[in-house]
Amino acid sequence: MRSCDFFNMVDEMTQRNYLGEMELMVLLAIVRLGDYAYGVPISKELLLIARREVSIGSIYAALERLEGKGFVSSSLGEPTPQRGGRAKRYFRVSPRGLRAIRTTRVALTGLWKGVPALKGGSL
Amino acid sequence: MTSREANPPRLAIWCLRHLCPGTHNEALTGDLIERLEEGASRSWFWRQVFVACTTGVWNEIRCRWVFLCYAAAGTVAVCLAPVHGPTRVPMWLHWSDLPWPLSQFVFELSSPVILTLAGLCVLAGGLAIEQSFRLAYLLRTWIINFALIAIGHYSIDAFPWLLRPIPGDPYHKVLVIPPAAQVLLLFSAFLVAAWLGCPMTKRADGAQGLTA
Repeated sequence: MRSCDFFNMVDEMTQRNYLGEMELMVLLAIVRLGDYAYGVPISKELLLIARREVSIGSIYAALERLEGKGFVSSSLGEPTPQRGGRAKRYFRVSPRGLRAIRTTRVALTGLWKGVPALKGGSL
Repeated sequence: MTSREANPPRLAIWCLRHLCPGTHNEALTGDLIERLEEGASRSWFWRQVFVACTTGVWNEIRCRWVFLCYAAAGTVAVCLAPVHGPTRVPMWLHWSDLPWPLSQFVFELSSPVILTLAGLCVLAGGLAIEQSFRLAYLLRTWIINFALIAIGHYSIDAFPWLLRPIPGDPYHKVLVIPPAAQVLLLFSAFLVAAWLGCPMTKRADGAQGLTA
């Protein structure tokens, strides 16, 4: 292996542009919710559509990772007494995040197309 | 729901604020209180706080894996030093010819200096992989690390009760601190040095990470 190949590999590994399952689900939930995307509705959306009971803390951890990658941006809302005077933090998918969703969708669709019926049941 | 159930547990809120690493803790707390107002139980609230703290700590560890590797490498190097370490360094430096207190300093601390430098190789490699390599970070980490080890070393002189005699050996003494705790303290010293030496700040893209 040439040294430049090695450094390219390291460079690619540190880019972290790929999406994990949780991150993809959270991104899609934000897209579905539009302007109303904050912790509570995202967790309800995941429970309703994906049938996953995900803790709000895990959702925020994923959101922080996504924010770090530049896939989502956030803004503070108004504080309300129902929340103990704390403001909501609304999340929005960035153009870079949308590109990542499309890339993941293309990759997953392509992979699923070539998969034969799984052992122990049909697809 | 009773008013007690509607009120969030104060200790849980304190845990969220002080024990949960993360940049959106206030919003997270607000979300949990909102769910509590909607009818969630206090046990649900506590479960959420526990998961949030655990996930937050795990995220921190993932962000700072370089520091952990450095701390582990440094600790292993120092722990193995009595067997395989550079024990002849003071002699090479002719410590006995030097004026006091430099002679004592060289005699007691030249080996830790070499060992911390060995650990720095791991830190340098990690920082290079993270694309955050800076000589200033290495120098700062090494100085803090060395200072912490020196403080630890000389604090034994300030607190003689930390040493107890070995039965049957009038010339040597051992630390009263259990070996496992000593290793943990050493690991903490390396970790704190890296933490303070290599600042974690917000990158331009909003990521919490090492900055170059």
